Amino acid sequence: MFPTGSKLLIGATVLAAVVTVVYGVATEGALGTIGMAFATVALALLSGIVIYARDANAAPGTAEEDLAAAQVAPTMSPWPLLSAVGVTMMAVGLVTYPVVVIVGVVVMLAGALEWLVQSWSERSSSSTEYNAEIHARMIGPLEVPVVAAITAGAVVYGFSRVMLTVSKTGSIVAFGIAASIVVAVATYFAQRQRVPSRSYIAAIAAGAALLVVGGAVSALNGERDLKVIETTADLGFQGRCGVEATGADKLYSQTVGAKSNQAATVTLGDDEVLRVDVPGFNDSESRVTLHRANPNNVLFRNESDEERRLKIVVESSDPDNGSREVCTALVEPGAVQLMTLYFDKPSFAVDGGYQFEVPGVDGATVEVVVP
Amino acid sequence: MSSIPSTPSDAPNHRDGDTGTDAGRVNHDRTSMHPNQRFASVGSVRSTTVSPSSRWNRRRRVALVTGVLAGAGLLGGCARNAPQDIFDARGTNSGMINNLQIPVFIVAGVVGVIVMAIIAFAVVRYRDKGQPIPEQTHGKASLEVILTLLPAIILVFIAVPTVSTVFALANTDDTECVVNTAGQQWWWEYDYPVSDDGTICGYAPSEAEALPFVTSQLVIPTDTNVLIRGTSRDVIHSYWVPRLNGKRDMVPGRVHYLRIQADEPGIYAGQCAEFCGLSHANMRMEVVALDPPDYQAWLDGQLAPYEAPAADTLAGQGETLFIQQCARCHQVDGLTDPITGDPVISAPEQFVYSGAAPNLTNLMSRLTFAGGTYNLANNACWADVWEAPSSEFASRYLEGITPDCLNEIDLRGWLRNAPEMKPMYTEPDELEPTDGKVRGMPNLGLNEDQIDALIAYLLERK
Repeated sequence: MFPTGSKLLIGATVLAAVVTVVYGVATEGALGTIGMAFATVALALLSGIVIYARDANAAPGTAEEDLAAAQVAPTMSPWPLLSAVGVTMMAVGLVTYPVVVIVGVVVMLAGALEWLVQSWSERSSSSTEYNAEIHARMIGPLEVPVVAAITAGAVVYGFSRVMLTVSKTGSIVAFGIAASIVVAVATYFAQRQRVPSRSYIAAIAAGAALLVVGGAVSALNGERDLKVIETTADLGFQGRCGVEATGADKLYSQTVGAKSNQAATVTLGDDEVLRVDVPGFNDSESRVTLHRANPNNVLFRNESDEERRLKIVVESSDPDNGSREVCTALVEPGAVQLMTLYFDKPSFAVDGGYQFEVPGVDGATVEVVVP
Repeated sequence: MSSIPSTPSDAPNHRDGDTGTDAGRVNHDRTSMHPNQRFASVGSVRSTTVSPSSRWNRRRRVALVTGVLAGAGLLGGCARNAPQDIFDARGTNSGMINNLQIPVFIVAGVVGVIVMAIIAFAVVRYRDKGQPIPEQTHGKASLEVILTLLPAIILVFIAVPTVSTVFALANTDDTECVVNTAGQQWWWEYDYPVSDDGTICGYAPSEAEALPFVTSQLVIPTDTNVLIRGTSRDVIHSYWVPRLNGKRDMVPGRVHYLRIQADEPGIYAGQCAEFCGLSHANMRMEVVALDPPDYQAWLDGQLAPYEAPAADTLAGQGETLFIQQCARCHQVDGLTDPITGDPVISAPEQFVYSGAAPNLTNLMSRLTFAGGTYNLANNACWADVWEAPSSEFASRYLEGITPDCLNEIDLRGWLRNAPEMKPMYTEPDELEPTDGKVRGMPNLGLNEDQIDALIAYLLERK
C-alpha cells in the first residue's frame, strides 16, 4: 500500500506530530509548537503526494529472493562506530565543555547519515556493483567537499598557528625551508618517468600532517607578543585630539570605509568653514540630528589646505566614564575619513550640547542634536 | 535522474492495464531486469484491485477538496477590511509599485498557471500504474532553445520597468520632509530634525521654538515627499507600510532611506517585515497623514511646553511615581525633579538592551501603545477615528485620547504586567546574555492604586 519512498516521510510525519504535542505540552511555547505543526502538515502533504504518485515504489520480491540466503550480505561499515563515538562525545561534553557536545552532535549526525545511505544503497538491488555505484553517487557530492573542507581547514589552521607563534625572522626561515622542500620534492617527481600514485599521496599527506603537527605544537606554545598599535580611540581617551600629529595618524587610511552609508558628511571647506550635508536636505546645514543609543557613521571631508582632524566631546550617562573626546586621525587635504559616534545622553541633557569642531580652526563648528 | 544508470531498451515491459495473469511473468523476468525497471512492474499487480468506479469516486473527492480549498483562498482575497492591502496604493510611491506589480503579477500568474497545470497533468497522467518506462531520449535542441529564449524575453520586458521603478523609488532629491526612525525590539521611534530655517518638514511652530522631538507614531503632512532615514538599534527590522511604499530593511549600524507620500488624510497601517525575535508579529506601526493646517496644529501640540499636574491630585501622585518608576527608561520632555528642579533625563541604555524606550511626552496624542500592539482608544473611539471620512478624520484624530475614550483595560493590564500582554525577554534570571538588560518592558510590580495614579498622569500627556 505504501511506496518505499513514502515510508520515511510517513515516519517523519508521525515523529513531527509527536514532537509537536510533546513540545507544546512540555514548554507551552506557542511559536515552536506552531512551527512544528507546520512541519507536520508539510511532511504529511509530501507523504500524500508520494503515496498518490506512487513514486519510488519497490518491487515485490519473488519467493526465492525473499529468502534470507538470497540476500546480499552487507559490507563492513565503520559508521555505527562513528555514530557511537559521537554519542559518547555528547555524553562527555555534558560534563566537560559545551563545544564537545556540539562536535559530538556533528559526528553522530555524520555517522548516522553515512550509515543510512549505505544501508539504503545495499538494499536497492541485488547487484553489488550497482549498489556501490548508487551509493557513491548519492554520498559523494556530500562526502568529498566535507572531507576536503575539513582537510583544508586543518591545514590552514595549522599554518596560521605556526605563523602566529614564530617571529618575523623565524617565519622567513621556517617557510623558506618549507618552500625549498616542496621544490625539491616536486623536482624529484618531475625527473622520474613513472611515479606511483601512492607516492604523490604519501608526499601530500606527509606535508599536511607536518603542518597540522606544527600547528598543534605552535598552539601549545602560544602566540608571540604582538605589537600594540595606537588608535584614534586611544587619542580620544587620552584627550590628545589636538592639532599635533600622533602615531595613530600614520596608520589610518585617508580613503573611506562604509562611505555609502554615512548618517552625514561634515566638510571643512577651503574657507575653513565647517558645514554638514545630510541626504534629504537639499542644502548644507549648520546642524545635524543624530541618533541616541546607536552607532552613527559620520564622514569627515577635509577640503582645506592643511591636515585637520574632526573632534567632538561626548558625554556618557555612566558617571564613571564622564565625558571623552572622539576624533579622526589627521586627514590630508582633499581626503576623507569615517568617524563612528555613540551618544548615551540627549543633547539637551548636556551643558552646551554637542558640537563638531576642528582643532586649530576657530569657529569651525557644527551643532549636533541628539533628541 | 541522470545519476541513475539508464534502462536497456530490450528489457521486458508491460502495457498499462495488464491483468493479473501478467504479474507472474513480470516477477519471473525480474532476475534479468535492471533495478530501475523493477519499480515499473508493481502497478500492474496493484491496478487489478482498483475498480473504475472507486477510482472515479476518489478523483471526485480529490477534486472537491481541491475546489473547496481554492475557493476559500479566493474568497479570502475579497476581504474589505484590509488596511495592509498591497494592491491598494494611497500615494505616489506605492502607486509606482502598483503600476509595476499588477502587470508583472498577471504575466507571472499566467506562466505559473501554465507550469502548474503541466506539472499536475504529468503527475496525474504519468503516475506509476504499472506501465513500462518510456524510451529515454536526451534533449531536443529546438525545444530547449525555445524554452530558454521565451523566459529570457519575458524577463527582459519585466526588467526594464522594474529597474526604472527601483531607481525612481531610490530618488531623494525631491524630499520635502525628513524623519529619522530607529527600529528596536519591538517598536519604532521617530524624530523630526529641525532645518537651519527653523522649520520641521517646512512648518514653523506657531508659538514655541522649533526643537527636535521624539515620538512613537509617525505623522506626516499630505501631498509631501517624506524621506525616512532609518536604522536599527538591535537586530534587523524592516519598515513596511504597504499603502505608502514597499519594504525597507533597517540594519544596525547602517542608514537606509525610504520615501513615503500620502495623497489623502488618514491612517496607514504597517508592520515589521523582517523576523526580529519573540514579538516580531506584534511590532506594528501606523502612519498618520494630515492636511497642512492640521499638521501645523499637530506640530504645535507636540511642541507645547510641559504642564505639571497639581501636586495634590491623583495625576500629581502619578508624576511622582513616574519619576520613581518609569523615568529611568521613558523620557517626558520638560519633566523636572520636584526637589532639585533639574530636568529628569531617562537612561534607557542602562536598563534596556536596545538602549531606548518610547518617549511618553505626548502619549495620549497617539492611537496605540506597546509598539502598536494595543489601541490607546477603546473600540468605539478607535472606530470613530479609523472609519472617519477624510474631511473629518483630522479633527477626530487631533482630539487625542480623552478619559472617555481610553482603552483602560489594556493600558491597566500593561502597567500591571507588561510581559503578560506581549512576549518579551524580561525575566531577571534569563538576562545573562544581555548583561542584565531587558528586551521590552518588565513587570514593575505596581499595585492598583499606583496604576490609577499613573493612568491619571499619563492621560494628561497630550
